[in-house]
Amino acid sequence: MLSIIVTNLRRRPTRTVLTAAGIAVGVATIVALLSFTQGLQESASGFVHLGGSELGVFQANVSDPTTSVLPESMVGRLRRRPEVAQATPLLLIVEGIKRDPAAVVFGAQSDGFFTKQLVIVGGARPTSWQTEALVGDRLAAQLRLSPGSTLDVKGRAYRVAGVYHSGILFEDSGAVLGLAEAQRLIERPDEETNVIVRLSPGTRASAAARAIERDFPGTQAITTPEQALRAGANGTLISKAILVIVAIAIIVGVIGVMNTMAMSIAERRGELGLLSTVGWSPQRVATLILGEGIAVSILGAAGGLLLGVIGGDLLVRALGVSSYVSPSVTAWGLGRGLLVGVAIGVLGGIYPAWRVTRMTPLKALSGT
Amino acid sequence: MTERMAQAGAEVLVERVSKSFGRISALREASLHVEPGQAVVITGRSGSGKSTLLALVGGLEQPDAGRVVIDGRAIWREPHPARARREVVGFVFQRHLLLETLSAQTNVEVPLLGAGMRHAERRRRALELLDEVGLADRAEHVPARLSGGERQRVAVARALANEPRLLLADEPTGALDSVTSERILDLLFGLRDRLGMTMILVSYDSAIGARADRTVTIVDGLIHDHDAHDDARASAS
Repeated sequence: MLSIIVTNLRRRPTRTVLTAAGIAVGVATIVALLSFTQGLQESASGFVHLGGSELGVFQANVSDPTTSVLPESMVGRLRRRPEVAQATPLLLIVEGIKRDPAAVVFGAQSDGFFTKQLVIVGGARPTSWQTEALVGDRLAAQLRLSPGSTLDVKGRAYRVAGVYHSGILFEDSGAVLGLAEAQRLIERPDEETNVIVRLSPGTRASAAARAIERDFPGTQAITTPEQALRAGANGTLISKAILVIVAIAIIVGVIGVMNTMAMSIAERRGELGLLSTVGWSPQRVATLILGEGIAVSILGAAGGLLLGVIGGDLLVRALGVSSYVSPSVTAWGLGRGLLVGVAIGVLGGIYPAWRVTRMTPLKALSGT
Repeated sequence: MTERMAQAGAEVLVERVSKSFGRISALREASLHVEPGQAVVITGRSGSGKSTLLALVGGLEQPDAGRVVIDGRAIWREPHPARARREVVGFVFQRHLLLETLSAQTNVEVPLLGAGMRHAERRRRALELLDEVGLADRAEHVPARLSGGERQRVAVARALANEPRLLLADEPTGALDSVTSERILDLLFGLRDRLGMTMILVSYDSAIGARADRTVTIVDGLIHDHDAHDDARASAS
């Protein structure tokens, strides 16, 4: 059976390759989007644990967590809570660095745990937080910055005092200014984007988050990457858009395979009639058609997996979010791509296969 | 193979069978009884209903009325007509209907594949059958590399693959020159003589009837049955 399937697919190489290419594009789209969302999730994980914190408090119902606005007075009230060991405010500045708009600039207190946990790998901590900045090692490598060079943020030049590494993508792809200087720079005095919190020993993050949200109406306390992804309307929108694109890719793939197999059946009515005549059951003939659909889909899926891995990286670059998101290709992501490819073959082959089972041998033979 | 196939041919019973295609009546209350092992030639003009009768006997089509019974089995009414066909009937058509992309050997293997036979056994049987029809040295050739007569011989080998007790041949020499036609007929009748299967052969050429046990003529969907040897004797006298 397999050799007949292979022979039949080789009989029309152009059609087989074009159909496989269509499926490959669909599978590649899915793999790229899955690697993007996986990367997004991993980035969100970093976003949740900024500065090694266990939870982050943001304004509720914002389109994006980076647009959150909280009053500076809030951090003092949080610090007084028994479940909070440490709390420090952050002001996030997005698109502040022209040469890398995806890089995030963190306005942070010089004595807060966010700043203190940064490992300085070059230069030193700033002596003047009004005129100096720290840059993450990824950003430094990308913009070729080193201690003593100048970093331009929102049109103002800061001397790079040191280069740090934290192990969190967001942080290492960004830069740190003093909180007061950041507030002055973007004209948001007494405001912060979020407060990151380290909890007292033995405190459960989810319980602490619920208590904080209850006592601070209008805020949301984020403890998991999933929450971070859902926290902003943009994240939700991205997730839904990806679902829609995946669905479209499957539908287009299914129609492509269905069309190919239907054409193939129309051309091969006589041959299929002959198989029935010599004793192939309708189910076996249908299996042949279905097998051809699945084989061409697997061929397409294999190409699609390769394209998807490359496409994930291209997607992140095209969206200009390479500092936020590093596409992450997992075995499960590739497996899902392959599954979708096979599903396309099965779904696309079902209708043509069913049609084959409805043909009487004589009518089919007369089609030769 | 010869030993395995040396079993009695099938008995064919066609009872008051009618078949129409739209407004065209192809067969009208046709009846025919073929004894096991008999070779019957069905002749008639183009469009007389010969091929329709053969298709009904082979279970390729359902009669509108009447019944066709092969060794007590009404193929079309069986729960699995394809399996029933595979177990009883072998077909040879005017056009060889070989699968163009497959080798001669794989073409012969196709019915065996339908029977779910294992690869090694399939291969062995196909080579045996090709040897039977004198094409052992052409096993790897695709149909395009075979002559018209060779293709038809591969089709005969394919028809024999499942050891049929009934061989149905629809104008098997219709697309061949006279020399090749004689060779194919020699092959078919020789196989029938050696293996003992029942054979029904459709041909517009009534001369073929001289080789058969009986000749049946169809005129406008009606069967006229007569003994071929009687005709031959009558012609001779």
